[in-house]
Amino acid sequence: MLLVFNYPIERLGYRTDPILKLESVVSVLCIVENLLGLCAKNYKSHVSLDKLYPNSNPDFLRKTNEVPKSSSLEQFEGYIPIDQLEIATSKSSGPGGQHVNKVNSKVEMRFHLKSADWIPAWIKPKLLEQEHGRVTKDGFFVVRSDMTRKQMLNQADCLNKLRNMIYKASELPREPTTEEMELKEKRIAKAKAGVLKEKRSRSLIKQNRSSPQF
Amino acid sequence: MSSKVTERALNLIKSMPRVALNNIKPLPHTAFKKKTDRRGDRKKKGRGDKGQGARGTWDPLGYEGGQNPLIDTSPRERYYAQYAVRRQYPPVTLLELQRLIDLNRVNTSRPVDITSICNTGLFNFDISKNHFGVNLTDEGCDQFVAKINAEVQWTSELVIAAIEKNGGTITTRYYDPSCLAALYDPLAFFKKGQPIPKCKLPPQDALLYYSDPNSRGYLADPEKILEAREKLAQKYGYKLPDLEGDPVKEMLLMRKDPLQIFYGLEPGWIVNLRDKCVLKPKDEDYLKYYHSAH
Repeated sequence: MLLVFNYPIERLGYRTDPILKLESVVSVLCIVENLLGLCAKNYKSHVSLDKLYPNSNPDFLRKTNEVPKSSSLEQFEGYIPIDQLEIATSKSSGPGGQHVNKVNSKVEMRFHLKSADWIPAWIKPKLLEQEHGRVTKDGFFVVRSDMTRKQMLNQADCLNKLRNMIYKASELPREPTTEEMELKEKRIAKAKAGVLKEKRSRSLIKQNRSSPQF
Repeated sequence: MSSKVTERALNLIKSMPRVALNNIKPLPHTAFKKKTDRRGDRKKKGRGDKGQGARGTWDPLGYEGGQNPLIDTSPRERYYAQYAVRRQYPPVTLLELQRLIDLNRVNTSRPVDITSICNTGLFNFDISKNHFGVNLTDEGCDQFVAKINAEVQWTSELVIAAIEKNGGTITTRYYDPSCLAALYDPLAFFKKGQPIPKCKLPPQDALLYYSDPNSRGYLADPEKILEAREKLAQKYGYKLPDLEGDPVKEMLLMRKDPLQIFYGLEPGWIVNLRDKCVLKPKDEDYLKYYHSAH
């Protein structure tokens, strides 16, 4: 499965002028906070989440042991361990005025290809062959992006590129399916029939130039 | 003094006869029937002599005798189609939110919802202009470093990533206009002495958004939200912080019930600021009403 991500277009922000904070509101909130001792902490209506999804654990901040064991992987699943990548930021190129001159929005990611255990071993030679220009003398695989003016989006772009490269390198040559073979045969037969038809019609034209023989 | 008045009123009512058809007045419009002027009801029925007027073959409205009518001279531009029905979410940027936090205008030790943002005095919305809450936008996503439990009405994927990257949580939550009025200015609402309203469920076209774990909707499945968090972390390239032993974890998991609008207060309760107490309904029907979505 090839994961291709689309991310949002950056938008301009919205600014307001500062207004003084209301003192009365603060005092009311203090009163309400004191009253919270009297208040319900476990209000559950007919549409509370535990009734809508009775089998789901509401603690979605819990830790899950989801890291797949890499060297035993037969296929790249798309998981990249971020802490094993060296991420560096710098200034982007292109237009953008003071913002692009001052802000570190360009992202460069590198990792040592040979010692990366999160890529299955059989993919590495092919990856090296396809992307040899990205690998340094020391064996570090480098991916850069300064596509947008936001560092987060550029980082996502780097990861996207990396994933796509690994997926491309993991494509195996496959044999044609019966449908494809049938299609090929059909096309060849059609081409051949076309050639014969053309030959016959040419032959008739030539025959018609001479006088008929009775 | 008021009890004497009520006593007198009650005594008066006791001495009166029961309400019956013979002691009530008819409604104003049924008092008399207007007599129609029947002078024109003979031969020509008030339509005059011959022509389109008499024969009822008027040209359609806007017709200009075959000339291209005014309404057809310019193309249709549907910029304002359904303007009265479409919901609007005035934006607040992540940069602005960070600024509010840095200047201590917003308390991050408690969940940050629309009331917290409105209480700063820097953000206003107008229910009459179809404003349905806050839209948290992504400008300043690289500068955002606060760890908060945010509750907004609309947001984008990048904003969710920026907040979760710093160890916080974000929920998108729908409020209907009457609840928004209470949330915008809780002080003024409590002073009215009205029971806290129960929040309605979102309309059909919004239900999908608020049930979607990718937009962290308040009606979404928590298990799917967990998966979505991991997926987003992989997409944007950050490691999800481990919150196991974190004292703030309980605050980050604080969620309002879908019908609840204030933390710690149930719908149906009346907050009495003067006597500093909370009035709660006891009647079964009231409780049933305030616990159901209908």
